[in-house]
Amino acid sequence: MSLRSRMETWWKAISERGPLDRQVQEELEFHLESYAEDLMRSGVPREEAMRRARAELGSLAAGQEKCRAAWGARFVDELWADLHYALRMLARSPAFAAIAVGSLALGIGVNTVIFTAAQHMLLDRLAVPHPEQLRLLEWTQPNDGIVGSMWGWWDDLPGGGHLGTSFSYPVYQQLRKQSSEMESLFAFKPLDRQTVTVDGHAEAVGAELVSGNYYSSLQVRPILGRGIQESDDGSPGSGPVVVISDRFWMKEFTRSPQVIGKTILVNMTPMTIVGVNPRGFTGAYSAQETPDIFLPFSMQPIVAPKNGGGSNSSSLLANTDLWWVLVMGRIKPGMPDRTASASLNVLLDAAVRATMPVKKGGQIPKLLLIDGSRGQNPAAEDLAKPIAVLLGLGGFVLLLACANLANLLLARASARQREMSVRLALGAGRGRILRQMMTESLMLSLLGGAAGMVLAYAVRNTIPRMMSDSWAPQAVSARFDWRIFGFAAGVSIVTGLIFGLAPAWEATRVQVSSGLKDSAQTATRRRRGLAGKTIVVIEVALSMLLVVGAGLFVQTLIQLGHARLGFRPANLLLFELQPPQTRYRDAASIPLYRQLEQKLAAIPGIQSVALTNAPLIAGGVSMHAFIPEGQQRKPQGNPSVLSNDVGESFFSTYGIAIVAGRGFNSSDTETSRKVAVVNESLAKKYFPNLNPIGRTFESGLDVASPIEIVGVCGDAKYDRVRKDPEPTFYAPYWQEKEGFEDATFALATRLDAKTLMPALRQVVQSLDRNLPLLDVRTQDEQIAASLRYERIFANLTAAFGALALILACIGIYGIMAWTVSRRMHEIGIRIALGARSEQVQGMVLREAAWITLLGVVAGVAGALALGRFVASLLYGLKSWDPATYAGSATMLILVALAASWIPARRAAGVDPIRALRHE
Amino acid sequence: MGKDAGVDLLQGTLDMLVLKAVSLGSLHGYGVLLRIQQISQNRLEIQQGSLYPALYRLEHEGWIAGEWGQSENKRRARFYRLTAAGRRRLEAETKKWDQFAEVIGVILNTAPEEL
Repeated sequence: MSLRSRMETWWKAISERGPLDRQVQEELEFHLESYAEDLMRSGVPREEAMRRARAELGSLAAGQEKCRAAWGARFVDELWADLHYALRMLARSPAFAAIAVGSLALGIGVNTVIFTAAQHMLLDRLAVPHPEQLRLLEWTQPNDGIVGSMWGWWDDLPGGGHLGTSFSYPVYQQLRKQSSEMESLFAFKPLDRQTVTVDGHAEAVGAELVSGNYYSSLQVRPILGRGIQESDDGSPGSGPVVVISDRFWMKEFTRSPQVIGKTILVNMTPMTIVGVNPRGFTGAYSAQETPDIFLPFSMQPIVAPKNGGGSNSSSLLANTDLWWVLVMGRIKPGMPDRTASASLNVLLDAAVRATMPVKKGGQIPKLLLIDGSRGQNPAAEDLAKPIAVLLGLGGFVLLLACANLANLLLARASARQREMSVRLALGAGRGRILRQMMTESLMLSLLGGAAGMVLAYAVRNTIPRMMSDSWAPQAVSARFDWRIFGFAAGVSIVTGLIFGLAPAWEATRVQVSSGLKDSAQTATRRRRGLAGKTIVVIEVALSMLLVVGAGLFVQTLIQLGHARLGFRPANLLLFELQPPQTRYRDAASIPLYRQLEQKLAAIPGIQSVALTNAPLIAGGVSMHAFIPEGQQRKPQGNPSVLSNDVGESFFSTYGIAIVAGRGFNSSDTETSRKVAVVNESLAKKYFPNLNPIGRTFESGLDVASPIEIVGVCGDAKYDRVRKDPEPTFYAPYWQEKEGFEDATFALATRLDAKTLMPALRQVVQSLDRNLPLLDVRTQDEQIAASLRYERIFANLTAAFGALALILACIGIYGIMAWTVSRRMHEIGIRIALGARSEQVQGMVLREAAWITLLGVVAGVAGALALGRFVASLLYGLKSWDPATYAGSATMLILVALAASWIPARRAAGVDPIRALRHE
Repeated sequence: MGKDAGVDLLQGTLDMLVLKAVSLGSLHGYGVLLRIQQISQNRLEIQQGSLYPALYRLEHEGWIAGEWGQSENKRRARFYRLTAAGRRRLEAETKKWDQFAEVIGVILNTAPEEL
């Protein structure tokens, strides 16, 4: 009861301040008049009665204040008063306000932007109810385990062996039937771009194959129509239906409700649209990319036929060799992960034995359950460390801004000593003064935080945009939700506490008596401003860290840009084709490619045309088993090398030298002996000190025909600039009996893409009207895109470094100006005693140099210690690269000297008479 | 003679006295003052400056409730009455005070022979 009345009266005091004051006033006036009347009745004259009454009752204002305090409003009243006062003080010094709020906004804004990107890339969960219940099935096996044929994501384990998330379809079916610890197991598979034709207009979109219980297990309800059901996922070809994404619905059908029941062609196969996914649903694979069409597994043999693992059937559903399907499920509430994974492990063992022949001693993969709330999220592993490093650097920038602000506030605090003395003399407790100073700091930091959030919102898409390819920009809209708001608010508050503490503490240590004296200067300068100098040393150390970081990452980018590629990327225009398997089954795509090669070469302005299966420096490789002649082929665990199917003019177009033997020519046909060209690394590794020309090897695909090596070419980088060339062999694409699904054409030309596009499109469409041209870019752009993370890093850290130098400059200028101004007396005396201006300047510069040197040394120590963490992100230089450190130190010292130049000049130009009179 | 008692009145005792005064009937602030003087037979003088803060404090705690009304000479005044919680508080405080006074009284009245 008491609590309730306390809250009511407190709320009334806060919200109805005016009415409450009037109420108290009325009461007190009534009391006054009544008392005065009583006095008058006992004979006291009116004037005297009123005076006596007033004196006894006390002042009205004091009464109002005490009554408000009685209702618990004191804290809020004081807070309000502090804020008012702080705002007035800020308004009076706009320059200070601008610098303070500006540097805070930059620091907090930068951190918020990085956090937004981090959240989007790493933390975003799948847009389904209760994503924390989802578990993804994963397996590990040693190097010679029984899983040999895989299509999907895998990783090497540090101790040997592989980690994978793909299962064979028959294994999945068995697991699903018998699993009891999971509420249900469903399967999905993201497909690369499929050709979708809507009303005669063809384009390539991402797709996802899903099982019949996918929608029910994920509990996703389409906003229109229905999801994929069990009845769609029966026998192959029985469910020609698709569910489209919201984005696709908007783009192709402008959100018309008539879309349900419409027929579209997916890889030339008519399918009916039965539903539209809710906006924000990204499938089960990742939370960052959205497939545009979802189709049942039963349609795979028709829509996306693929040969798997040696069988001739185009259906992967009955294929027991190829492991390609991802499996996820919701764990039963209350079931511990270990129990579920143990029982699933047993089921997997049984399923594998039931579906695949397992030799004695064959290693069956072990199953693990991992968190599935973010899907597979392949990008997360690569990005976790860089984002952590960015957040760390951003934190340092913020710390630097805090240090600057602390110094600024310290300088202001020393100017307010008289004010503080007056307050203390009037009866304020030191705690009250501390509270006032902290309120001012927090207000400043919250203002900076608000400005920083506005800044971060304005540039929220920069980092995600920098991360996508420049020729296929993703429509990103980084989410700006309460978590980011909370982050920014939290950072602001912590910032305010950090930089506000030192000045607040200093303010409370004022001595009342000496603070009120006129010449308060000499008595109150305790400890020669050590606090300010320490802060500046910290500032210089942080700047050193950031400048060194900038130097390292910028140089990494430069080194990567100049790295020896092994081929000539200049003047190469690339584009990609993905002929749908339904029309160009296996080797049927080869005549298409051949014709394209000829027709493209005929376009004026194009010097040569080369075709590759895997584009260079695009992050993808093709890998095949490699058994040189004379070596026994093992059933499992053969060595494998990288390979690429290429066209005849590949070597000349890319400028890769043939150092021995020959390239491909017209004598190599579809029916002649299979040939290949190996690179020097392969020759060195597998045929050391021998001539590989004429030798043969077997590759995993075609068991019967060995491949003859007809040439050796120079090493060229394959998928990344960072990776050194590995053993690779190149095979002529037309000898590839199974064809390949996508081909990249490289055109040697000096013309740019825009000029050539009409001709290119015309050539492609003359051969097939329904074949879209994908990803038109130059090889240089491709390489630049592959370096996008390094570029982001270099840009951001360079900006951080520049910011750090500016802040350090301001900090050093501030502390030296302050030092000089308080030593005016002393300098005046020195000059009066005969010191020359150079001596005085030297004194100031020496002090600045000391501070800077201390800071640089501390910064070097810090940078060396932290350098270990970023070593893996660098290229071409070590994390303790001496040139970078020396350069950064020099830059900082120069900046420090420049910053202290003006105070030094001012000190030297002091008029001794005025200085001695200076207060 | 009651002057020193008035000056030394602790905050808690003033609260108790106000509650008692109001318990005998709803009063405005001046009326509380008069009644305390009346029932103490003018032996107690209250500091008028601390009266209204005390009234507001008691209202904050929910022991008295205030509402506007008309005084004897037809003027607007704020009247305070005791609430149920206030009545309970008054009883508890009275009991504590009696116990306190008894204990102190026993101590102060101990004759040397009773040790």
